[in-house]
Amino acid sequence: MKKVCLILLLISTQVSSVEGNDELTSQERELYQHIIQEVRCLVCQNQSVGESNADLAKDLRTQIMEQVKKGGSEEDIKSYLLSRYGDFVLYEPSFKKSTYILWLSPILILLLILGWLRKIGIIGK
Amino acid sequence: MKRILPIIIFIGLFIFLTKSLYEPQTNIPSPLIGKPIPTFSLSELNSDTSLTNNDILGTISLINIWATWCVGCDQEHSFLVDLAANQTIDIPIIGINWKDRDDLALRWLSQRGDPYSIVLSDPIGKTAIDFGVYGAPETFLIDEQGVIHYKHFGPLNREIFASNFMPIIKDLRR
Repeated sequence: MKKVCLILLLISTQVSSVEGNDELTSQERELYQHIIQEVRCLVCQNQSVGESNADLAKDLRTQIMEQVKKGGSEEDIKSYLLSRYGDFVLYEPSFKKSTYILWLSPILILLLILGWLRKIGIIGK
Repeated sequence: MKRILPIIIFIGLFIFLTKSLYEPQTNIPSPLIGKPIPTFSLSELNSDTSLTNNDILGTISLINIWATWCVGCDQEHSFLVDLAANQTIDIPIIGINWKDRDDLALRWLSQRGDPYSIVLSDPIGKTAIDFGVYGAPETFLIDEQGVIHYKHFGPLNREIFASNFMPIIKDLRR
């Protein structure tokens, strides 16, 4: 049973990302696959555009595909999406003023915890 | 205190994270605020005439993205009809019929009333992507030059319009 589920799962994630794929060169296909995994589907926020079957995700895949065919780079396509949907559309937001806290908070928290551990004497002074 | 502190931090984090889990982020800030509407060329509903982004400028207006398959559009429709008829507020509503069929859209408008000054159709949804649309209905407030001043995600109603749109409209008209 587990095996069947696993196979079904694999099939279901693949189906959505192959439409019209065959016209791309292998390099373009790689770029396309890479980008659609990094773009958030905004109507179904916990799926990427590559995984989702929502209509909007299909439309976005078509747009990304067209731009890949036209020779757009990863940066071109990401900035196309950012200018329309904002930071939220990318799973990995760019490093800039409004996202400093987001990126630096793990380091800050780690430092705080280390400091605290030292203070209570769990790690040596 | 030393012993309790981690527990307090843990509970704090737990509450914060659990709360965010149940609050889906639907009002994603649009990067298009303060920018002109995207360029487009769309045909009018059930017609061969194409209109571009420049053709719809000239007055402060609303751009409403809607579809007959959209549940929220059904909820806001009667408000839009009232708004279009309101002479004091006097704001035209431009409709963009998103990924829909012209015949269904026409039937919807003839049955429930037509609040739109113009309805454009975007059957493939490319213009909607240029507007950063991720779910209908969405409503944009634009000025005479076509600069976007506000965007609302989800069905509109009297309260939302009065509190979020009216102050900006008044400011623009001053």
